[in-house]
Amino acid sequence: MPQPDPTDELVDVLARRILVLDGAMGTTIRSYGLSEADARGSRFADCAKDLLNNGDILSLTRPDVIADIHRRFFEAGSDICETNTFSATSIAQSEFFVDDPREHGGRKDPAFFDRIITDPFLNELAWEMNVESAKLCRREADAVTSTTGRKRYVAGAIGPLTVSLTNSPDADDPGFRVVTFDQVLEAYKHQARALIEGGCDILMIETIFDSLNAKAAAVAVLDVFDELSLKLPVILSAAVGRGGETMISAQKIEAFWNAFAHVKPLAIGLNCSLGPDLMRPHLEELSACAATHVSCYPNAGLPNPLAPTGFDLEPRHMHEFMAEFADAGLVNLAGGCCGNTPEHIEAIARAVADKKPREVPRAEGA
Amino acid sequence: MRTIPHALRLSGTEAYNHTADKRFLMIGERANVAGSPKFAKLVREGDLEAAVEIARQQVHNGANVIDICFDDGLIDGKAMMTCFLQLLQGEPDVAKVPVMVDSSKWEILEAGLKCLQGKGIVNSISLKEGEETFKRQARHIMRYGAAVVVMAFDENGQAAGYEDKIRICRRAYDMLVGEVGFNPDDIIFDPNILTVATGIEEHNNYAIDFINATRWIKENLPGAKVSGGVSNISFSFRGNNIVREAMHSAFLYHAGKAGMDMGIVNAGMLEVYDEIPAELLEHVEDVLLNRRADATERLLDLAERFKGQGGKKTEEDLTWRDDPVEKRLEHALLKGIDKFIEEDTAEALEKHGKPLRVIEGPLMDGMGVVGDLFGAGKMFLPQVVKSARVMKKAVAWLEPYMEAEKAANPQQRSAGRFLIATVKGDVHDIGKNIVGVVLACNGFEVTDMGVMVPCDRILDKAQEINADVIGLSGLITPSLDEMVHVAKEMERRGFRIPLLIGGATTSAAHTAIKIAEHYSGPVVHVLDASRSVPVTTSLLSDGQRDGFVAGNLEKQRKLREDFVGGPKKETLSLADARAAGPRPEWDVYTPPAPCFTGIRDAGDGDVGQGGERVTITLRGLVEYIDWTPFFHAWELRGVWDRERKLLKTKDPAGAAEAATLHREALEWIERIIREQRFEARGVFGFFPANADGDDIIVWNDESRVTERCRLHTLRQQIRKQSGKPNLALSDWVAPSHPPGTASGAPPVADWIGGFVVGIHGADEFAGELEQANDPYGSIMVKAIADRFAEAFAEWLHHRARIDWGYETEGELTQDQLIHESYRGIRPAPGYPAQPDHTEKPILFDLLDAADRTGVTLTESCAMHPGAAVCGLYFSHPESHYFAISELQKDQVEDYAKRKGMSLTEAEKWLGPWLGYPV
Repeated sequence: MPQPDPTDELVDVLARRILVLDGAMGTTIRSYGLSEADARGSRFADCAKDLLNNGDILSLTRPDVIADIHRRFFEAGSDICETNTFSATSIAQSEFFVDDPREHGGRKDPAFFDRIITDPFLNELAWEMNVESAKLCRREADAVTSTTGRKRYVAGAIGPLTVSLTNSPDADDPGFRVVTFDQVLEAYKHQARALIEGGCDILMIETIFDSLNAKAAAVAVLDVFDELSLKLPVILSAAVGRGGETMISAQKIEAFWNAFAHVKPLAIGLNCSLGPDLMRPHLEELSACAATHVSCYPNAGLPNPLAPTGFDLEPRHMHEFMAEFADAGLVNLAGGCCGNTPEHIEAIARAVADKKPREVPRAEGA
Repeated sequence: MRTIPHALRLSGTEAYNHTADKRFLMIGERANVAGSPKFAKLVREGDLEAAVEIARQQVHNGANVIDICFDDGLIDGKAMMTCFLQLLQGEPDVAKVPVMVDSSKWEILEAGLKCLQGKGIVNSISLKEGEETFKRQARHIMRYGAAVVVMAFDENGQAAGYEDKIRICRRAYDMLVGEVGFNPDDIIFDPNILTVATGIEEHNNYAIDFINATRWIKENLPGAKVSGGVSNISFSFRGNNIVREAMHSAFLYHAGKAGMDMGIVNAGMLEVYDEIPAELLEHVEDVLLNRRADATERLLDLAERFKGQGGKKTEEDLTWRDDPVEKRLEHALLKGIDKFIEEDTAEALEKHGKPLRVIEGPLMDGMGVVGDLFGAGKMFLPQVVKSARVMKKAVAWLEPYMEAEKAANPQQRSAGRFLIATVKGDVHDIGKNIVGVVLACNGFEVTDMGVMVPCDRILDKAQEINADVIGLSGLITPSLDEMVHVAKEMERRGFRIPLLIGGATTSAAHTAIKIAEHYSGPVVHVLDASRSVPVTTSLLSDGQRDGFVAGNLEKQRKLREDFVGGPKKETLSLADARAAGPRPEWDVYTPPAPCFTGIRDAGDGDVGQGGERVTITLRGLVEYIDWTPFFHAWELRGVWDRERKLLKTKDPAGAAEAATLHREALEWIERIIREQRFEARGVFGFFPANADGDDIIVWNDESRVTERCRLHTLRQQIRKQSGKPNLALSDWVAPSHPPGTASGAPPVADWIGGFVVGIHGADEFAGELEQANDPYGSIMVKAIADRFAEAFAEWLHHRARIDWGYETEGELTQDQLIHESYRGIRPAPGYPAQPDHTEKPILFDLLDAADRTGVTLTESCAMHPGAAVCGLYFSHPESHYFAISELQKDQVEDYAKRKGMSLTEAEKWLGPWLGYPV
């Protein structure tokens, strides 16, 4: 069921304290040691491709694990948890369920994706994944809300897709795109409707590698709001490299803000790609130009195959960084991306608990 | 409360904020089929690459936004808008600026919006089709996040006079802001610039009407901007560029004063207002400001005088374009001009029939001239690499035709297939890349496998592509062993093709003595890139091969004889060498104490792991750059004179080329800084230390009781006639209890320093340039990164000496700094004073360097990225650089024991410095 618009109460809380986001879904799932058979369950036992890396499918085949992760994050102090729907679109799911034409000398192109976005199986699957994931997260949020008396929120995660609208995969044909804007728009609209149906409070377009994909997602979300005559807060979060450019479309921080200010997001931020140390200068830049709340959920440092979480930084490190970010007045929402376990989130929650949130600059004269 | 000022905020991949302090937003108009016949022609003919060039030119000429328009009856505007914007997205230097999607058709504007990741401008909508359409379109534009140009047009047509202009703009503004919710900052009005001096009296006030309407809009519609198509104003003077440019400038001057924010204007077709001749300006302003009734006639009369003159644009000399195609190709190759290369190549293909004939004919002839001039010292490597870029583009264009021919005729072969790689464990590739480029432009088919390539992969690839020659490159000494390994493997696997050896540590002697004996095919040492072509040509020529190989064998035989039979230097036993070591007077000398112990980060950002750090910007490092080695990388020999900024060399033409190269390098540095391509990360530290024989003990703390680690040094074993001491680096650190000190006295306090610095980002940037067929840029970027790394090391050493307390800030001039006229040294493991690379891991551990700087060590202890420097700091006033050679077995055994290595392992790492056969 669609939820009422929580914008006012969130803005109110954000004026008083830094809200805590959740940690990594993907890397936390890995700590449960699930097998291919777990991911498939009986329902997808016959699937031709491996599904273990299809984290979103676990909302259907191992909802217990996903619910447990949400619960642990909420209990660790998350105000907002993201649904397990990073790849729950027909386009992203096609990677797992549709024969790749490139393996037979063919190619992926708009004709291929025309079939994908109208494929009944993929659309039904994507719908179910989004609705069920949202419900799972909703249940845990409501449970922890009632036990702790502090309201918790569900953010519907809208991920970046495995195809790019700004880049050609073929170096000899730079004008070529595997997919069209309208196809991406359609897939995202389907996801947005399902996330709202499942009961999300917020929609979160995140890990933005490619700003044009994100633009399609933003148009999709706003179109769906119009269609359903409702509105929910939107959070946008980009994944930038060391130079502070979106990883695929190479858009710089302020350019990114300028391109998305019209969405009037509840928050705009950075996540993934970098640890807090490398993210800091870019966060500072965003914090300086963005006339809205700023969110930040970096990776727990850089990948380190020898570390238990696969990433460098331990909870105490994240604590230290986030406390410093808060002291520097850089953030309104803080959490963690890859490599951040519930223990990390607990440390982050402690780090920002008594800190003043970043003051949101106002547009002059407005 | 912090506020963010009002501004039209746009973006491509970069932000452009038109804040109040910005004067005039330049919109490039040439990528507009209506504004540029040339662009229209290119698009109609499908030459989109040249069309993209026009867009790029606009950005280079300073356009803040580029206008893109395909409103032309012969063009499918919707498809072309999508296609062209997608192409632009792949051009980083164009994609950075915001796009103005320009069309009178809504469906084309919609298509354009779907291609913009940034915030662009839609040009334009109006009330022409009524309020509902207007609002629907505005809502759509808002949803996609673009600004909008609104034409002063309504249901009744275009607003020409002042009253109509302001009435329509007011109405549109109220609707957009009040009903649609448009951000007023994102509204741009175009109140129609109409042509003056048409001879029709009603037109005489058009410029004034526009200027006054502009003033009114800026005063009455808060946030709104004003734009216009400037060249319309002078349409009556087509063909008279001098008058048109003067009119544009004067008009912009007056409209700008009234508040006009931007205009569609050819940035290259503007006279500077102050440079318009007074008489012309007066006549032009009479027309624009409608100052006298006969203004038009008077300007027409005056205009006669300027008719046919070109205007301010000084055309480049294009007379060479009239030559026959072969000559044009040669000219393009010689001058490194790639602007016309594809059309010329196409023409040559038509004329010569087969792609290979074009390559072997005019292109190779042109490169032959380049090669001859290079050989004769009349051209220099940077120019040759630019020629190579042109060649590469021509060959890339011919590629599909060659593929087609190959398919039809699979036996056909190129001049030769050359496989080149930097060996396993080594990351250095500037020289290798230069060789690859030079060979490729001499017709060889070069397969470059990159850096750190294991032997098996090299040889597998060689078999796969049926290589005619293998070239190995390496800079650090362990690479020499890897080359030996490759030679052995080639023998074992039955290869017979020539093996070429090159790179800074390689030598003709080492190749002859250590490598050649393991392989029965030809093994040739190649001194530098310019030698690679004649060597390869000889090796692959049926007529020259035997003679060349015999000559090479003879040379190598001589080198071996010299080595075995040459006068050996007299050496000392390790015990005697130690006895002949220096005896610093520790009793009268107190080592300086550093202001901190432990480690600190250094770099150009505020990355790092907390704690104190020192920062330096790349710009700040520029003055620490020692340019001489940079020119050596480009094979320009000489010494750089910092004061006069010239290369001191016997060859005046070389000096001129060096000056050009230096200028270009500075431009690259600017770009690197502007685009934040490089990141400088370093770490340094000081530690309590004392010498223990030839080792240096690093203590855990000042109590000097427990050892943290040991640094190992090597001692010179040559018997010195001069009576000078036999040195080891440990001699310059005080022993804890020097001879003669009382027993039970506290240990003497001394310290050692260490550092690691690296420049990140060069490989990525170079890779990008490589992709863009720009080998020149790629090599340039890497060579500059190397210089930055050295400059960083030099700067940090300066800083460290101050922290160590024996030098003060500003005590030495920049020149003294560059010439190392300071106290103390910073020797690096792997270099002459301590040639053992395996000391690096100890240093890296001590400094936590991998984590703090991102610089890592390969299995051969090469630093990655390659633009990195590490070393130890010694403070002793007598410390200086020296070289180890002729190590004897007694020392190597002792050293291996101290390091906990086997003798074989130590001998492997110290190979080139051993003074005895292994």
